[in-house]
Amino acid sequence: MKGKAWVIGDNIDTDQIYPGKYLPLTDVKEMAKHALEGIDRLEDFSELVAQGDFVVAGVNFGCGSSREHAAVCLREVGVAMVIAESFARIYYRNTVNIGYPVLESKDITQKVQDGDVLETDASNGIIKNERTGETIQALPLSGLEREISDAGGLLQYMKKTTE
Amino acid sequence: MGSTIIEKIIAKSTGKELVTPDERLWVDVDLAVIRDFGGPNVILEYEEHFGDQKVHDPNKIAITFDLHVPAKDEKVAGNQKICRDFAHKQRIRNLFDVGSGVGQHVLLEKGLVNAGDIIAGTDSHMNLLGCANSFASGVGTTDIVAAWAKGKLWFKVPGTIKIVLDGNLEKPTSAKDVILHVLKNVGCEGALYKSVEICGPATENMSLSERITLTSMVTEMSGKAAFTPPHDKIMDYLKKRTNKEQVGIFPDEDAQYEEEYDFDISGLEPQIACPDSPDNVKPVSEVEGTPVDEVFIGSCTNGRYEDLYEVAQILNKNKVADGVRLIVLPSTAEVARAALDNGLYQIFFEAGAVVPNPSCGLCTTGHHGILAPGEVLVSTSNRNFPGKVGKGGEVYLASPATAATSSVKGEITVPGGA
Ligand code: SF4
Repeated sequence: MKGKAWVIGDNIDTDQIYPGKYLPLTDVKEMAKHALEGIDRLEDFSELVAQGDFVVAGVNFGCGSSREHAAVCLREVGVAMVIAESFARIYYRNTVNIGYPVLESKDITQKVQDGDVLETDASNGIIKNERTGETIQALPLSGLEREISDAGGLLQYMKKTTE
Repeated sequence: MGSTIIEKIIAKSTGKELVTPDERLWVDVDLAVIRDFGGPNVILEYEEHFGDQKVHDPNKIAITFDLHVPAKDEKVAGNQKICRDFAHKQRIRNLFDVGSGVGQHVLLEKGLVNAGDIIAGTDSHMNLLGCANSFASGVGTTDIVAAWAKGKLWFKVPGTIKIVLDGNLEKPTSAKDVILHVLKNVGCEGALYKSVEICGPATENMSLSERITLTSMVTEMSGKAAFTPPHDKIMDYLKKRTNKEQVGIFPDEDAQYEEEYDFDISGLEPQIACPDSPDNVKPVSEVEGTPVDEVFIGSCTNGRYEDLYEVAQILNKNKVADGVRLIVLPSTAEVARAALDNGLYQIFFEAGAVVPNPSCGLCTTGHHGILAPGEVLVSTSNRNFPGKVGKGGEVYLASPATAATSSVKGEITVPGGA
Protein backbone atom coordinates (compact mmCIF):
# COMPACT_ATOMS: atom_id res chain seq x y z
CA MET A 1 0.00 0.00 0.00
CA LYS A 2 1.32 3.41 -0.94
CA GLY A 3 -0.13 6.78 -0.08
CA LYS A 4 0.30 10.17 1.54
CA ALA A 5 0.45 10.65 5.29
CA TRP A 6 -1.87 12.97 7.20
CA VAL A 7 -0.16 13.53 10.51
CA ILE A 8 -2.27 14.46 13.53
CA GLY A 9 -1.57 14.74 17.24
CA ASP A 10 -2.00 12.83 20.49
CA ASN A 11 -5.29 11.91 22.17
CA ILE A 12 -7.47 12.46 19.11
CA ASP A 13 -10.85 11.48 20.53
CA THR A 14 -13.85 10.03 18.76
CA ASP A 15 -15.61 13.40 18.76
CA GLN A 16 -12.82 14.76 16.59
CA ILE A 17 -12.76 11.71 14.35
CA TYR A 18 -16.52 11.59 14.05
CA PRO A 19 -18.46 14.39 15.81
CA GLY A 20 -21.28 13.22 18.10
CA LYS A 21 -23.91 15.20 16.23
CA TYR A 22 -23.66 12.77 13.30
CA LEU A 23 -24.29 9.69 15.44
CA PRO A 24 -27.84 9.33 14.17
CA LEU A 25 -26.50 8.67 10.62
CA THR A 26 -26.64 5.03 9.61
CA ASP A 27 -25.47 5.20 5.97
CA VAL A 28 -21.71 4.58 5.72
CA LYS A 29 -21.35 6.81 2.66
CA GLU A 30 -22.83 9.69 4.64
CA MET A 31 -20.59 8.88 7.62
CA ALA A 32 -17.51 9.13 5.39
CA LYS A 33 -18.24 12.79 4.66
CA HIS A 34 -17.61 13.71 8.29
CA ALA A 35 -14.35 11.86 8.87
CA LEU A 36 -11.95 13.93 11.01
CA GLU A 37 -14.31 16.89 10.71
CA GLY A 38 -13.83 17.67 14.40
CA ILE A 39 -10.15 18.58 13.85
CA ASP A 40 -10.07 22.26 12.95
CA ARG A 41 -7.59 22.17 10.08
CA LEU A 42 -9.17 19.02 8.64
CA GLU A 43 -12.77 20.14 8.52
CA ASP A 44 -12.82 19.30 4.78
CA PHE A 45 -10.81 16.10 5.12
CA SER A 46 -13.29 14.03 3.11
CA GLU A 47 -12.68 16.27 0.08
CA LEU A 48 -8.92 16.53 0.53
CA VAL A 49 -8.03 12.90 1.14
CA ALA A 50 -7.02 10.60 -1.73
CA GLN A 51 -7.89 6.89 -1.80
CA GLY A 52 -5.08 4.95 -0.15
CA ASP A 53 -3.76 7.78 2.05
CA PHE A 54 -2.70 7.10 5.63
CA VAL A 55 -3.62 8.76 8.87
CA VAL A 56 -0.61 8.95 11.20
CA ALA A 57 -1.46 9.77 14.81
CA GLY A 58 0.15 10.12 18.21
CA VAL A 59 -0.81 8.27 21.37
CA ASN A 60 -4.30 7.11 22.42
CA PHE A 61 -5.92 7.56 19.02
CA GLY A 62 -9.70 7.06 19.20
CA CYS A 63 -10.18 7.69 22.90
CA GLY A 64 -13.57 8.82 24.13
CA SER A 65 -16.74 7.04 23.14
CA SER A 66 -17.25 3.53 21.82
CA ARG A 67 -18.74 4.65 18.49
CA GLU A 68 -17.71 2.31 15.71
CA HIS A 69 -18.57 5.13 13.28
CA ALA A 70 -15.11 6.52 14.07
CA ALA A 71 -13.44 3.47 12.53
CA VAL A 72 -15.96 3.01 9.73
CA CYS A 73 -15.84 6.63 8.53
CA LEU A 74 -12.08 6.50 7.93
CA ARG A 75 -12.32 3.24 6.02
CA GLU A 76 -15.21 4.55 3.93
CA VAL A 77 -13.49 7.84 3.11
CA GLY A 78 -10.59 5.87 1.66
CA VAL A 79 -7.93 5.94 4.37
CA ALA A 80 -5.90 2.76 3.74
CA MET A 81 -4.76 2.43 7.32
CA VAL A 82 -4.32 4.31 10.57
CA ILE A 83 -0.83 4.16 12.02
CA ALA A 84 -0.70 5.44 15.59
CA GLU A 85 1.71 5.45 18.50
CA SER A 86 -1.06 3.78 20.49
CA PHE A 87 -4.80 3.22 20.18
CA ALA A 88 -7.62 3.61 22.65
CA ARG A 89 -8.92 0.22 23.68
CA ILE A 90 -12.38 0.22 22.09
CA TYR A 91 -11.12 1.87 18.92
CA TYR A 92 -8.51 -0.85 18.48
CA ARG A 93 -11.12 -3.52 19.16
CA ASN A 94 -13.48 -2.01 16.61
CA THR A 95 -10.86 -2.01 13.86
CA VAL A 96 -10.20 -5.71 14.48
CA ASN A 97 -13.90 -6.50 14.49
CA ILE A 98 -14.54 -4.77 11.17
CA GLY A 99 -11.42 -6.19 9.55
CA TYR A 100 -9.79 -2.79 9.02
CA PRO A 101 -6.16 -3.27 9.97
CA VAL A 102 -4.17 -0.73 11.97
CA LEU A 103 -0.51 -0.50 12.91
CA GLU A 104 1.02 0.56 16.18
CA SER A 105 4.38 2.29 16.01
CA LYS A 106 6.15 4.19 18.76
CA ASP A 107 7.48 7.64 17.80
CA ILE A 108 5.85 7.46 14.35
CA THR A 109 4.81 11.13 14.50
CA GLN A 110 8.48 12.05 14.86
CA LYS A 111 9.53 9.95 11.89
CA VAL A 112 6.81 11.01 9.49
CA GLN A 113 5.76 14.52 8.45
CA ASP A 114 2.49 15.66 7.01
CA GLY A 115 2.51 14.91 3.27
CA ASP A 116 5.27 12.26 3.34
CA VAL A 117 4.66 9.34 1.00
CA LEU A 118 4.64 5.99 2.82
CA GLU A 119 4.69 2.45 1.62
CA THR A 120 3.36 -0.01 4.16
CA ASP A 121 2.73 -3.70 4.54
CA ALA A 122 0.02 -4.48 7.09
CA SER A 123 1.00 -8.14 7.33
CA ASN A 124 4.55 -7.63 8.58
CA GLY A 125 4.25 -4.07 9.88
CA ILE A 126 6.98 -2.57 7.68
CA ILE A 127 6.62 1.11 6.83
CA LYS A 128 8.93 2.85 4.34
CA ASN A 129 9.14 6.62 4.29
CA GLU A 130 10.09 7.82 0.77
CA ARG A 131 11.29 11.24 1.89
CA THR A 132 13.70 10.04 4.56
CA GLY A 133 14.43 6.62 3.14
CA GLU A 134 13.85 5.19 6.61
CA THR A 135 12.33 1.75 7.17
CA ILE A 136 10.17 1.61 10.30
CA GLN A 137 9.10 -1.61 11.97
CA ALA A 138 5.58 -1.27 13.39
CA LEU A 139 3.63 -3.77 15.46
CA PRO A 140 1.24 -5.73 13.26
CA LEU A 141 -1.78 -7.66 14.56
CA SER A 142 -1.12 -11.15 15.87
CA GLY A 143 -2.92 -14.15 17.35
CA LEU A 144 -6.68 -14.16 17.58
CA GLU A 145 -6.96 -10.50 16.53
CA ARG A 146 -5.07 -11.31 13.35
CA GLU A 147 -7.33 -14.28 12.61
CA ILE A 148 -10.46 -12.18 13.12
CA SER A 149 -9.18 -9.31 11.02
CA ASP A 150 -7.99 -11.61 8.23
CA ALA A 151 -11.39 -13.29 8.11
CA GLY A 152 -12.82 -9.87 7.27
CA GLY A 153 -14.09 -9.13 10.75
CA LEU A 154 -15.73 -10.68 13.80
CA LEU A 155 -19.00 -11.79 12.23
CA GLN A 156 -17.29 -13.39 9.26
CA TYR A 157 -14.90 -15.10 11.66
CA MET A 158 -17.69 -16.44 13.86
CA LYS A 159 -19.69 -17.68 10.91
CA LYS A 160 -16.64 -19.47 9.63
CA THR A 161 -15.76 -21.08 12.94
CA THR A 162 -19.21 -21.98 14.24
CA GLU A 163 -20.78 -23.33 11.08
CA MET B 1 -0.60 -17.65 42.34
CA GLY B 2 -3.70 -15.64 43.22
CA SER B 3 -6.13 -13.88 40.93
CA THR B 4 -7.50 -10.37 40.61
CA ILE B 5 -11.25 -9.74 40.37
CA ILE B 6 -11.35 -9.69 36.59
CA GLU B 7 -9.26 -12.84 36.31
CA LYS B 8 -11.73 -14.64 38.58
CA ILE B 9 -14.75 -13.46 36.61
CA ILE B 10 -13.28 -14.44 33.26
CA ALA B 11 -12.05 -17.78 34.62
CA LYS B 12 -15.54 -18.59 35.92
CA SER B 13 -17.14 -17.74 32.58
CA THR B 14 -14.73 -19.87 30.59
CA GLY B 15 -14.72 -22.79 33.04
CA LYS B 16 -10.99 -22.47 33.58
CA GLU B 17 -9.33 -22.61 36.95
CA LEU B 18 -6.95 -19.80 36.25
CA VAL B 19 -6.52 -17.21 33.52
CA THR B 20 -3.54 -14.92 33.04
CA PRO B 21 -3.13 -11.48 31.48
CA ASP B 22 -2.83 -11.35 27.68
CA GLU B 23 -4.66 -14.65 27.12
CA ARG B 24 -7.34 -14.28 24.43
CA LEU B 25 -10.52 -16.04 25.42
CA TRP B 26 -14.13 -16.40 24.37
CA VAL B 27 -16.50 -15.65 27.22
CA ASP B 28 -20.24 -16.07 27.70
CA VAL B 29 -21.93 -12.70 27.80
CA ASP B 30 -24.63 -12.26 30.46
CA LEU B 31 -26.01 -9.03 29.06
CA ALA B 32 -25.36 -7.18 25.78
CA VAL B 33 -26.74 -3.66 25.75
CA ILE B 34 -27.41 -0.98 23.16
CA ARG B 35 -28.67 2.58 23.48
CA ASP B 36 -30.95 4.71 21.37
CA PHE B 37 -27.98 6.18 19.53
CA GLY B 38 -25.52 3.81 17.96
CA GLY B 39 -28.00 1.05 18.79
CA PRO B 40 -29.86 1.21 15.46
CA ASN B 41 -26.54 0.48 13.73
CA VAL B 42 -26.31 -2.72 15.77
CA ILE B 43 -29.80 -3.74 14.67
CA LEU B 44 -29.17 -2.93 11.01
CA GLU B 45 -25.90 -4.87 11.11
CA TYR B 46 -27.58 -7.78 12.87
CA GLU B 47 -30.31 -7.95 10.23
CA GLU B 48 -27.82 -7.56 7.40
CA HIS B 49 -25.92 -10.64 8.62
CA PHE B 50 -28.61 -12.74 10.29
CA GLY B 51 -31.87 -11.52 8.78
CA ASP B 52 -34.87 -12.59 10.87
CA GLN B 53 -32.91 -15.24 12.74
CA LYS B 54 -33.83 -15.30 16.44
CA VAL B 55 -31.29 -13.79 18.79
CA HIS B 56 -29.32 -16.17 20.98
CA ASP B 57 -31.25 -15.21 24.15
CA PRO B 58 -33.63 -12.24 24.32
CA ASN B 59 -33.30 -12.12 28.12
CA LYS B 60 -29.61 -11.35 27.76
CA ILE B 61 -30.29 -8.21 25.76
CA ALA B 62 -31.20 -4.76 27.01
CA ILE B 63 -31.97 -1.56 25.16
CA THR B 64 -31.77 1.76 26.98
CA PHE B 65 -32.90 5.11 25.64
CA ASP B 66 -30.91 7.84 27.32
CA LEU B 67 -29.31 10.26 24.95
CA HIS B 68 -31.69 12.16 22.70
CA VAL B 69 -34.82 11.53 24.75
CA PRO B 70 -37.60 12.11 23.96
CA ALA B 71 -36.57 12.12 20.28
CA LYS B 72 -35.16 15.52 19.34
CA ASP B 73 -35.68 15.24 15.57
CA GLU B 74 -37.04 12.95 12.85
CA LYS B 75 -33.80 11.05 12.42
CA VAL B 76 -33.63 10.17 16.11
CA ALA B 77 -37.33 9.32 16.17
CA GLY B 78 -36.73 6.89 13.30
CA ASN B 79 -33.78 5.34 15.12
CA GLN B 80 -35.76 4.85 18.29
CA LYS B 81 -38.52 3.21 16.30
CA ILE B 82 -35.99 0.78 14.81
CA CYS B 83 -35.12 -0.24 18.39
CA ARG B 84 -38.73 -0.60 19.52
CA ASP B 85 -39.72 -2.61 16.45
CA PHE B 86 -36.75 -4.93 16.83
CA ALA B 87 -37.46 -5.47 20.53
CA HIS B 88 -41.05 -6.32 19.71
CA LYS B 89 -40.11 -8.70 16.91
CA GLN B 90 -37.40 -10.45 18.92
CA ARG B 91 -39.38 -10.51 22.19
CA ILE B 92 -36.81 -8.44 24.05
CA ARG B 93 -38.50 -7.39 27.28
CA ASN B 94 -35.78 -5.18 28.62
CA LEU B 95 -36.34 -2.05 26.59
CA PHE B 96 -36.22 1.04 28.75
CA ASP B 97 -37.85 3.79 26.79
CA VAL B 98 -37.60 7.58 27.02
CA GLY B 99 -38.00 8.76 30.59
CA SER B 100 -36.13 5.82 32.14
CA GLY B 101 -32.78 7.51 32.53
CA VAL B 102 -29.06 6.82 32.05
CA GLY B 103 -28.56 3.26 30.79
CA GLN B 104 -26.18 1.59 33.23
CA HIS B 105 -27.98 3.14 36.19
CA VAL B 106 -31.31 1.82 34.91
CA LEU B 107 -29.84 -1.69 34.47
CA LEU B 108 -28.65 -1.61 38.07
CA GLU B 109 -32.00 -0.46 39.43
CA LYS B 110 -33.98 -2.91 37.32
CA GLY B 111 -32.05 -5.92 38.62
CA LEU B 112 -30.18 -6.80 35.44
CA VAL B 113 -26.75 -6.68 37.07
CA ASN B 114 -25.36 -9.49 39.23
CA ALA B 115 -22.03 -9.85 40.98
CA GLY B 116 -19.68 -11.70 38.65
CA ASP B 117 -21.64 -10.99 35.47
CA ILE B 118 -19.99 -10.17 32.16
CA ILE B 119 -21.76 -7.25 30.52
CA ALA B 120 -20.97 -5.59 27.20
CA GLY B 121 -22.51 -2.38 25.95
CA THR B 122 -22.09 0.22 23.23
CA ASP B 123 -21.40 2.70 25.95
CA SER B 124 -17.92 3.57 27.04
CA HIS B 125 -19.04 4.13 30.63
CA MET B 126 -20.42 0.62 30.99
CA ASN B 127 -17.51 -0.20 33.28
CA LEU B 128 -19.05 1.80 36.11
CA LEU B 129 -21.08 -1.35 36.79
CA GLY B 130 -17.93 -2.71 38.40
CA CYS B 131 -19.28 -0.87 41.46
CA ALA B 132 -21.64 -3.86 41.61
CA ASN B 133 -18.87 -6.39 41.08
CA SER B 134 -19.57 -7.15 37.43
CA PHE B 135 -17.09 -7.05 34.56
CA ALA B 136 -18.81 -4.52 32.35
CA SER B 137 -17.06 -3.06 29.36
CA GLY B 138 -17.72 -0.70 26.49
CA VAL B 139 -17.47 -2.39 23.10
CA GLY B 140 -18.33 -1.56 19.50
CA THR B 141 -21.34 -2.27 17.31
CA THR B 142 -20.02 -5.48 15.80
CA ASP B 143 -19.25 -6.95 19.22
CA ILE B 144 -22.86 -6.58 20.25
CA VAL B 145 -24.11 -8.13 17.01
CA ALA B 146 -21.86 -11.12 17.74
CA ALA B 147 -23.05 -11.38 21.35
CA TRP B 148 -26.69 -11.21 20.29
CA ALA B 149 -26.22 -13.87 17.64
CA LYS B 150 -23.92 -16.30 19.45
CA GLY B 151 -23.90 -15.27 23.11
CA LYS B 152 -20.13 -14.97 23.10
CA LEU B 153 -17.38 -12.39 22.78
CA TRP B 154 -13.60 -12.44 22.70
CA PHE B 155 -11.55 -10.65 25.29
CA LYS B 156 -7.92 -10.29 26.04
CA VAL B 157 -7.49 -10.86 29.77
CA PRO B 158 -6.24 -7.49 30.99
CA GLY B 159 -3.59 -6.92 33.59
CA THR B 160 -4.81 -5.17 36.73
CA ILE B 161 -3.83 -1.89 38.34
CA LYS B 162 -4.53 -1.50 42.04
CA ILE B 163 -5.41 1.88 43.45
CA VAL B 164 -5.37 2.07 47.22
CA LEU B 165 -7.12 4.98 48.92
CA ASP B 166 -6.00 5.66 52.46
CA GLY B 167 -7.24 8.22 54.93
CA ASN B 168 -10.63 9.82 55.42
CA LEU B 169 -12.89 11.74 53.12
CA GLU B 170 -13.70 15.10 54.70
CA LYS B 171 -16.57 17.20 53.39
CA PRO B 172 -16.94 19.19 51.17
CA THR B 173 -14.42 16.92 49.40
CA SER B 174 -16.27 14.05 47.77
CA ALA B 175 -15.70 10.87 45.79
CA LYS B 176 -15.58 13.02 42.63
CA ASP B 177 -12.66 15.06 43.97
CA VAL B 178 -10.90 11.83 44.87
CA ILE B 179 -11.27 10.30 41.43
CA LEU B 180 -10.16 13.55 39.75
CA HIS B 181 -7.08 13.51 41.96
CA VAL B 182 -6.40 9.89 41.00
CA LEU B 183 -6.91 10.70 37.32
CA LYS B 184 -4.41 13.53 37.51
CA ASN B 185 -1.80 11.05 38.69
CA VAL B 186 -2.71 8.04 36.57
CA GLY B 187 -3.38 10.08 33.41
CA CYS B 188 -5.79 9.63 30.50
CA GLU B 189 -3.89 6.67 29.11
CA GLY B 190 -2.67 5.31 32.44
CA ALA B 191 -4.98 2.31 32.48
CA LEU B 192 -5.07 1.54 28.76
CA TYR B 193 -6.15 -2.11 28.22
CA LYS B 194 -6.14 -2.60 32.00
CA SER B 195 -8.61 -3.51 34.71
CA VAL B 196 -8.56 -1.17 37.70
CA GLU B 197 -9.36 -2.13 41.29
CA ILE B 198 -10.04 0.80 43.59
CA CYS B 199 -9.82 -0.25 47.21
CA GLY B 200 -8.39 0.72 50.56
CA PRO B 201 -9.71 1.98 53.90
CA ALA B 202 -11.20 5.17 52.45
CA THR B 203 -13.44 3.20 50.09
CA GLU B 204 -14.73 0.68 52.56
CA ASN B 205 -17.71 2.65 53.77
CA MET B 206 -18.43 4.34 50.47
CA SER B 207 -22.02 4.05 49.26
CA LEU B 208 -23.08 2.67 45.90
CA SER B 209 -23.44 6.19 44.60
CA GLU B 210 -19.88 7.13 45.60
CA ARG B 211 -18.58 3.91 44.07
CA ILE B 212 -20.37 4.73 40.83
CA THR B 213 -18.54 8.06 40.76
CA LEU B 214 -15.19 6.31 41.23
CA THR B 215 -15.68 3.49 38.74
CA SER B 216 -17.30 5.65 36.06
CA MET B 217 -14.16 7.73 35.62
CA VAL B 218 -11.89 4.75 35.09
CA THR B 219 -13.11 5.18 31.50
CA GLU B 220 -11.20 8.48 31.38
CA MET B 221 -8.04 6.56 32.36
CA SER B 222 -8.72 4.35 29.31
CA GLY B 223 -9.44 1.37 31.56
CA LYS B 224 -11.19 -1.71 30.27
CA ALA B 225 -12.96 -2.53 33.52
CA ALA B 226 -13.23 -1.02 36.99
CA PHE B 227 -14.00 -2.56 40.34
CA THR B 228 -14.53 -1.59 43.94
CA PRO B 229 -14.49 -4.74 46.10
CA PRO B 230 -18.08 -4.87 47.39
CA HIS B 231 -19.32 -4.64 50.96
CA ASP B 232 -22.46 -6.27 52.36
CA LYS B 233 -24.69 -3.30 51.61
CA ILE B 234 -23.84 -3.49 47.91
CA MET B 235 -24.62 -7.20 47.87
CA ASP B 236 -27.90 -6.55 49.70
CA TYR B 237 -28.81 -3.90 47.14
CA LEU B 238 -28.21 -6.33 44.28
CA LYS B 239 -30.09 -9.12 46.01
CA LYS B 240 -33.10 -6.89 46.54
CA ARG B 241 -33.10 -5.80 42.92
CA THR B 242 -32.41 -9.13 41.25
CA ASN B 243 -34.17 -11.56 43.62
CA LYS B 244 -31.08 -13.73 43.29
CA GLU B 245 -28.38 -14.73 45.74
CA GLN B 246 -25.26 -12.67 45.15
CA VAL B 247 -21.75 -13.92 45.75
CA GLY B 248 -19.18 -11.16 45.92
CA ILE B 249 -15.91 -11.65 44.08
CA PHE B 250 -12.76 -10.42 45.78
CA PRO B 251 -9.11 -10.46 44.76
CA ASP B 252 -6.84 -13.05 46.36
CA GLU B 253 -4.28 -11.83 48.87
CA ASP B 254 -1.50 -12.89 46.54
CA ALA B 255 -3.11 -11.57 43.33
CA GLN B 256 -0.63 -10.17 40.81
CA TYR B 257 -0.92 -6.48 40.00
CA GLU B 258 0.93 -4.73 37.21
CA GLU B 259 1.04 -1.45 39.06
CA GLU B 260 -0.04 -0.09 42.38
CA TYR B 261 -0.83 3.49 43.36
CA ASP B 262 -1.36 4.66 46.92
CA PHE B 263 -3.12 7.89 47.77
CA ASP B 264 -3.78 9.39 51.17
CA ILE B 265 -6.93 11.41 50.69
CA SER B 266 -7.08 12.98 54.16
CA GLY B 267 -7.06 16.73 53.75
CA LEU B 268 -7.55 16.60 49.97
CA GLU B 269 -8.95 19.92 48.68
CA PRO B 270 -11.83 19.93 46.15
CA GLN B 271 -10.44 19.29 42.66
CA ILE B 272 -11.42 20.41 39.17
CA ALA B 273 -10.43 19.19 35.69
CA CYS B 274 -9.71 22.18 33.46
CA PRO B 275 -10.17 22.30 29.66
CA ASP B 276 -9.43 20.27 27.52
CA SER B 277 -8.63 17.03 29.26
CA PRO B 278 -10.03 15.12 32.24
CA ASP B 279 -6.54 14.67 33.68
CA ASN B 280 -5.77 18.40 33.60
CA VAL B 281 -6.72 18.52 37.27
CA LYS B 282 -6.02 21.35 39.73
CA PRO B 283 -7.31 22.29 43.17
CA VAL B 284 -10.51 24.35 42.68
CA SER B 285 -8.84 27.18 44.61
CA GLU B 286 -6.39 27.70 41.72
CA VAL B 287 -9.10 28.61 39.22
CA GLU B 288 -11.48 30.25 41.68
CA GLY B 289 -13.12 33.35 40.18
CA THR B 290 -13.37 32.05 36.60
CA PRO B 291 -16.75 33.32 35.32
CA VAL B 292 -19.21 30.59 34.31
CA ASP B 293 -22.10 30.64 31.83
CA GLU B 294 -23.63 27.29 32.58
CA VAL B 295 -23.56 24.59 35.25
CA PHE B 296 -24.61 20.98 34.70
CA ILE B 297 -25.26 18.60 37.57
CA GLY B 298 -26.02 15.05 36.52
CA SER B 299 -24.62 12.33 34.19
CA CYS B 300 -23.62 8.73 34.87
CA THR B 301 -20.86 10.03 37.17
CA ASN B 302 -22.88 12.29 39.47
CA GLY B 303 -26.63 12.02 38.90
CA ARG B 304 -27.57 9.91 41.94
CA TYR B 305 -29.98 10.93 44.68
CA GLU B 306 -27.13 11.59 47.12
CA ASP B 307 -25.58 13.99 44.62
CA LEU B 308 -28.85 15.85 44.15
CA TYR B 309 -29.43 15.95 47.89
CA GLU B 310 -26.06 17.61 48.45
CA VAL B 311 -26.82 20.10 45.70
CA ALA B 312 -30.21 20.90 47.25
CA GLN B 313 -28.50 21.69 50.57
CA ILE B 314 -26.38 24.28 48.79
CA LEU B 315 -29.17 25.73 46.65
CA ASN B 316 -31.67 25.90 49.51
CA LYS B 317 -32.73 29.54 49.97
CA ASN B 318 -30.19 30.58 47.34
CA LYS B 319 -30.63 31.71 43.76
CA VAL B 320 -28.61 30.84 40.71
CA ALA B 321 -26.48 33.89 39.82
CA ASP B 322 -27.78 36.26 37.13
CA GLY B 323 -26.73 35.21 33.68
CA VAL B 324 -25.94 31.64 34.72
CA ARG B 325 -27.94 28.65 33.51
CA LEU B 326 -28.17 25.74 35.95
CA ILE B 327 -29.30 22.34 34.72
CA VAL B 328 -29.95 19.66 37.34
CA LEU B 329 -30.58 16.22 35.96
CA PRO B 330 -31.54 13.10 37.93
CA SER B 331 -29.89 10.04 36.41
CA THR B 332 -33.01 7.85 36.47
CA ALA B 333 -36.76 7.99 36.96
CA GLU B 334 -36.32 6.36 40.35
CA VAL B 335 -33.86 9.07 41.43
CA ALA B 336 -36.21 11.75 40.10
CA ARG B 337 -39.10 10.24 42.03
CA ALA B 338 -37.12 10.28 45.28
CA ALA B 339 -36.05 13.87 44.62
CA LEU B 340 -39.65 14.84 44.03
CA ASP B 341 -40.98 13.04 47.10
CA ASN B 342 -38.37 14.64 49.32
CA GLY B 343 -38.93 18.21 48.20
CA LEU B 344 -35.75 18.60 46.14
CA TYR B 345 -37.58 19.72 43.00
CA GLN B 346 -39.10 22.59 44.95
CA ILE B 347 -35.63 23.77 45.95
CA PHE B 348 -34.28 23.40 42.41
CA PHE B 349 -37.14 25.35 40.86
CA GLU B 350 -37.01 28.09 43.46
CA ALA B 351 -33.29 28.49 42.87
CA GLY B 352 -33.99 28.95 39.15
CA ALA B 353 -32.64 25.63 37.87
CA VAL B 354 -33.87 23.80 34.78
CA VAL B 355 -34.72 20.17 35.57
CA PRO B 356 -35.12 18.08 32.40
CA ASN B 357 -36.32 14.47 32.24
CA PRO B 358 -33.88 11.79 33.47
CA SER B 359 -31.29 11.15 30.74
CA CYS B 360 -27.68 11.84 29.78
CA GLY B 361 -28.73 15.40 29.06
CA LEU B 362 -26.17 17.58 27.39
CA CYS B 363 -23.42 14.97 27.68
CA THR B 364 -22.11 13.93 24.22
CA THR B 365 -23.84 16.88 22.58
CA GLY B 366 -27.14 15.26 23.43
CA HIS B 367 -30.05 17.38 24.55
CA HIS B 368 -30.73 20.43 26.68
CA GLY B 369 -27.93 22.90 27.09
CA ILE B 370 -25.26 22.89 24.37
CA LEU B 371 -22.69 25.69 24.64
CA ALA B 372 -22.00 28.55 22.24
CA PRO B 373 -18.33 29.08 21.29
CA GLY B 374 -16.37 30.67 24.12
CA GLU B 375 -18.89 29.81 26.83
CA VAL B 376 -17.75 28.19 30.08
CA LEU B 377 -19.48 25.18 31.63
CA VAL B 378 -18.88 23.61 35.02
CA SER B 379 -20.08 20.04 34.76
CA THR B 380 -20.27 17.06 37.10
CA SER B 381 -19.90 14.78 34.10
CA ASN B 382 -16.72 12.96 33.14
CA ARG B 383 -15.24 14.35 29.93
CA ASN B 384 -14.12 17.74 28.73
CA PHE B 385 -12.39 16.99 25.45
CA PRO B 386 -12.70 19.79 22.83
CA GLY B 387 -16.16 20.01 21.30
CA LYS B 388 -17.67 17.64 23.85
CA VAL B 389 -20.57 19.98 24.69
CA GLY B 390 -20.54 22.16 21.59
CA LYS B 391 -17.70 23.45 19.49
CA GLY B 392 -15.62 26.14 21.15
CA GLY B 393 -17.16 25.68 24.58
CA GLU B 394 -14.89 25.27 27.59
CA VAL B 395 -15.72 22.56 30.09
CA TYR B 396 -14.54 22.17 33.69
CA LEU B 397 -15.30 18.92 35.54
CA ALA B 398 -16.05 19.09 39.23
CA SER B 399 -18.05 17.66 42.12
CA PRO B 400 -21.75 18.41 42.67
CA ALA B 401 -20.81 20.65 45.62
CA THR B 402 -18.34 22.70 43.56
CA ALA B 403 -20.78 22.93 40.66
CA ALA B 404 -23.72 24.02 42.81
CA THR B 405 -21.66 26.57 44.73
CA SER B 406 -20.28 27.98 41.47
CA SER B 407 -23.80 28.32 40.03
CA VAL B 408 -24.83 30.49 42.96
CA LYS B 409 -21.69 32.64 42.82
CA GLY B 410 -21.57 32.90 39.02
CA GLU B 411 -17.91 31.96 39.05
CA ILE B 412 -15.87 28.89 39.92
CA THR B 413 -15.93 28.71 43.70
CA VAL B 414 -14.53 26.35 46.31
CA PRO B 415 -17.49 24.75 48.09
CA GLY B 416 -18.04 24.81 51.80
CA GLY B 417 -17.33 28.50 52.33
CA ALA B 418 -19.50 30.90 54.31
S1 SF4 C 1 -24.00 10.57 31.01
FE1 SF4 C 1 -22.59 11.04 29.37
S2 SF4 C 1 -20.80 9.78 29.71
FE2 SF4 C 1 -22.47 8.94 30.95
S3 SF4 C 1 -23.43 7.38 29.67
FE3 SF4 C 1 -24.54 9.27 29.30
S4 SF4 C 1 -23.52 10.19 27.52
FE4 SF4 C 1 -22.13 8.63 28.34
